[in-house]
Amino acid sequence: MSKQRKPSAGARIGMLTYHALMLAISAVFLLPFYWMTISAFKTNAEIFSDPVTWLPDPIRWENMTSLLTREDFPFVQQFVNSVFYAGTVAVLVCLSCSLAAYSFGCLRWRGRNLVFGLTVCALLMPTIVTFLPIYLAWSKIGLTGTYWPLITPFLFGDAFFIFMLRQFFMGVPRELLDAARLDGASEFRIWWQIVMPQVRTPLIIVGLFATVYTWNEFFLPLIYLQDRQAFPLSLGLFTFQSQRAVEWSVSMMGALLTALPMVALFLFTQRLFQRGLSSIGLK
Amino acid sequence: MGTVQLSNVRKFYGALEVIKGIDLTVEAGELVVFVGPSGCGKSTLLRMIAGLEDVDYGRVEIAGKDVTDAPPAQRGVAMVFQNYALYPHMTAYDNLAYGLRRAGLRRDAVDQRVQETAALLQISELLPRKPKAMSGGQRQRVAIGRAIVRKPEVFLFDEPLSNLDAALRVEMRSQIARLHQELAATMIFVTHDQVEAMTLADRIVVLNAGRVEQIGTPREVYHSPANLFVAGFIGSPAMNLLPATLGPSGVALVSGHVLGGQKGEGEAVTLGVRPDRLTLTSAESAHLSGEAKLIEHLGDETILHLRLADGGALTMKLHGDILLKIGARVHARIDLAGACLFGANGRALRLEGAHETKA
Repeated sequence: MSKQRKPSAGARIGMLTYHALMLAISAVFLLPFYWMTISAFKTNAEIFSDPVTWLPDPIRWENMTSLLTREDFPFVQQFVNSVFYAGTVAVLVCLSCSLAAYSFGCLRWRGRNLVFGLTVCALLMPTIVTFLPIYLAWSKIGLTGTYWPLITPFLFGDAFFIFMLRQFFMGVPRELLDAARLDGASEFRIWWQIVMPQVRTPLIIVGLFATVYTWNEFFLPLIYLQDRQAFPLSLGLFTFQSQRAVEWSVSMMGALLTALPMVALFLFTQRLFQRGLSSIGLK
Repeated sequence: MGTVQLSNVRKFYGALEVIKGIDLTVEAGELVVFVGPSGCGKSTLLRMIAGLEDVDYGRVEIAGKDVTDAPPAQRGVAMVFQNYALYPHMTAYDNLAYGLRRAGLRRDAVDQRVQETAALLQISELLPRKPKAMSGGQRQRVAIGRAIVRKPEVFLFDEPLSNLDAALRVEMRSQIARLHQELAATMIFVTHDQVEAMTLADRIVVLNAGRVEQIGTPREVYHSPANLFVAGFIGSPAMNLLPATLGPSGVALVSGHVLGGQKGEGEAVTLGVRPDRLTLTSAESAHLSGEAKLIEHLGDETILHLRLADGGALTMKLHGDILLKIGARVHARIDLAGACLFGANGRALRLEGAHETKA
């Protein structure tokens, strides 16, 4: 057995400094989250008490009851709205973007690269530039105030997710598609029955990204939705905070319960998130 | 089983013509092998027959029907791929059944066909397994099963044995030969392995740069290559191609030795001699002499690579284990009976006195 070599003193100091720095950076990012969590279980007075208390004592569970029962913040309804919004967008994104990615990554057609280039160009177009004409169009058809303007665009894909999925679709062996064509499968059937099972993990990654993105989406619900009962949590929480600025404890409880599903999702699927980020060169 | 007829088939990738007007008829029940160097278009041609590549010009007929514009599934062809191309998420059973289900067969008919095919290929015990739980040889047997189960007019094989190890390759080769006999099937087989081509083929099609260089039986392309390309490509080690002239006394080598045979008036020709048509001899009776640069001992035979006095190279294939040292002076004699002659344009000339030793 070979002896493990001890790191030199210099290397140890380097490692210690590195870890200390990383911990400090992590603390900077975690502190607001921690502050939100403890504030959710305090009264308003305790939140602003001097000196600062770093642990709630006693833990005020009544904040949660208050949040879930009050009429000016229909939290449960808005939670359901958020689940519906994020879930529907995730499913639509997976279906529409995978169809587009199949075409860009697996089929050969004239002008394919040009169209793909134009699609990627859409990534460069900020929402703020296009929202007004699109809003006017939805307004003309009388569908503002509903989820149609928020969800329908994802029927036609999303440039970022198409770009991401195309990389994975290009990795599917061409012979697999050829074998299916010889077996008499249509292109639609090849996409659904042959290719989709090969890219299951990338699809889950795209679904996760779309869920998180939509869960936190604020701007579009803000311009299209007017009824509090129809708001998703991101907008509902903002509205509550701006109207009931003094009720910090209930606001923090709302923020905590809004963030928790995404934190849990991230914890359970951390590896997939990392794979997704590395696949598109963001890591 | 159907015939395959290609009439002036051409294919372009942009401005580049990769298949340059090929005419070929594959008779019913025949096994034709496409051979050629990498990039010669053999796989492209096969894919054009399958309908996986568009035919830009010309016509493809299968079993007497024009299928030039027909989709792959309506051509009556089945294909076996180099990397098996089995659907990874399906069991072997579902892989075999997929095409039958697409063709609208009833469940009991599908089951019967799958079981029959599995029994023929002895893969019944593999049917519940997914491809990742099979060895390379088993996967290829399932892939062949997927082709057979559809009872196509024509089987297409795209280098199906390339991914297998040497022993499995021999086994699968004989299995394909057996299937060809049992099914009396029309088969087109693409390979770059000359042993596969020589052992399996009823006829070999030698392709080069998108053109057919020669079509013939394995014996024809080996013993009577149509041109210098085929002469150099078919056979391992490759045929020796020696510069010569046709003199009043027959073929004369650069070294001055006159071998007899065809007479002429000083035309420049190339003499093609298979390495096994050269024998060791004494300095006095030698046609060629050179220095041994590389000696390969294969047990029952020895391959000698010589450098000739004029700087040219010569390869000899000798029976037995010949004990020679690198650098040794070697004298060789040509058996003109097995030699070929090529004109200045590279095409074969009839060499008088040649081929009579072919058995």
